[in-house]
Amino acid sequence: MRREPGRASRLARETGGMLALGGRVLRAAVRPPYSYGAEFVTEFRFALGRSWFALIAAAFAFSFGPAGVQGAGFLGLFGALDRLGGLYELIIVREFAPFVTAIVVAGVVGTALCADLGARKVREEIDALGVLGVDVVKGLVVPRFLVIVALSLLFNVLALLAGVAGATLVEIQNHQPLGPFFANFRAAANVTELLGSYVKCLIFGATIAIVCCYQGLSVSGGSEGVGRAVNRSVVISFLAIGAIDYVYGQLLLATHPGLSEVR
Amino acid sequence: MSTAPRRRAAAPAWLTTFGDAVEFGARVTRDTLSRRMVPYLGETLRQAGILVNGSLAVLLGLSLALGLVLGIEGVYGARTVGAPAVAGAFAGLGNLRELVPYAFAYMMAAKVSTGFVAELGTMRISDEIDALDVMGMNSRMYLASTRVLATWIVFPFIYPLALAVGFLGSYIAVVVQLKETSAAGFLELFWKFQNPTDLLFSATKGALMATFVVIVGCYYGYKVRGGPVEVGRAAAQSMFVNLLGIHFVGILTSELFWGGSPRLPIGG
Repeated sequence: MRREPGRASRLARETGGMLALGGRVLRAAVRPPYSYGAEFVTEFRFALGRSWFALIAAAFAFSFGPAGVQGAGFLGLFGALDRLGGLYELIIVREFAPFVTAIVVAGVVGTALCADLGARKVREEIDALGVLGVDVVKGLVVPRFLVIVALSLLFNVLALLAGVAGATLVEIQNHQPLGPFFANFRAAANVTELLGSYVKCLIFGATIAIVCCYQGLSVSGGSEGVGRAVNRSVVISFLAIGAIDYVYGQLLLATHPGLSEVR
Repeated sequence: MSTAPRRRAAAPAWLTTFGDAVEFGARVTRDTLSRRMVPYLGETLRQAGILVNGSLAVLLGLSLALGLVLGIEGVYGARTVGAPAVAGAFAGLGNLRELVPYAFAYMMAAKVSTGFVAELGTMRISDEIDALDVMGMNSRMYLASTRVLATWIVFPFIYPLALAVGFLGSYIAVVVQLKETSAAGFLELFWKFQNPTDLLFSATKGALMATFVVIVGCYYGYKVRGGPVEVGRAAAQSMFVNLLGIHFVGILTSELFWGGSPRLPIGG
């Protein structure tokens, strides 16, 4: 009987497998023919319908709780609640909108796509497609990869809007005029922040997509295969989100000192 | 031609599921606290051991990452107002009150809750749960209540660990990596901005979220119908419900604990 491979060798194999899949997906995505359009639209509509509510709830919760209640409590003691606008710009645009987007995309869309691919794998549909000569990466993985990346970028907008809605509610709750809040918000916002937010979402989306598609495609047989794959995909995605958030945040702030100036 | 009165429209599917899940959760919680759990205490301890051995490292991972992020953002954010020395206060406040509860609950949902869906769902589709029922065991207590109780048993030990790891992340980012304040300066404000009551509030928040996700995981696993494909779908669906519930609890507890009074050592 073959010896069960150790944890380290499995980690190395999975990392390598994900990187290889990522390379193949990128190559298949840019090379003609672009035959994945119809699948992309179907999957995009499915994923959007499934996750928009969770996203808005999450973004609202994050801006209302951590940023709103705690931030307003802090600033309220100084009688400086109008400064909440600048604080919000920093917290929502730079951190929470991409983070919430990534958590919801990984938790709701990524798991669903992983379950879908895993189901096709255990029903041997994917092997059948291979036998028929259909390129599985181009036909199945590329559209899902693009869906998750596109959805991450789109959801960043929704997360920003829901975040500002939560902020507005906090301001109203504290009986503050909204004018100074939005003035401060706009004064603090700039293009670098927004671009940084979008690039972060792009990286999050690509990572989540590769992790979930890889886990879905590498489902092993047996009755607990698909459930385990979904479990693993969301754990790896969440840990990757945390790690990327840290490294990217530090890199962005260290290379753009303008972000730390008073605005 | 039928003259029977038109049937009233059935309740929407999500509403039926919601009611079913609430009933399941209520029964599981009631059983967990009842004396009938005594025969299942051995299994409970086994589940607690599995939880700590299998999931602890992963549970702490996101707390560490978010602690690091908070440290960095705290330093750079405080620089914009010319007071980078207060990063220690942010670390104490933000980690304790918001980030660690969320990070802990996210990882409980990802690792433990979907793990329960996969585990219990597999038992359900291979008819093991029906076998338990036929043998006269209370399968809901044996499978779901033991897991909830196991979570409650290990929670007081692993939640402070998650907090400690989050604090450590902020300390590393502020003091070791960016060298923004001295260690003493960091710790001075760090300890000033928290107190035991806040710790209790934070733990309550974390416990509510953790209990919610564990019950959701048990429900979706226990109620799977079909085959391996349905187990995967149930795991994905449970994550959706988990995320909604975590944020709902988060909003409520933040407003309840800190909305009326910020509980900060400023002014008098």
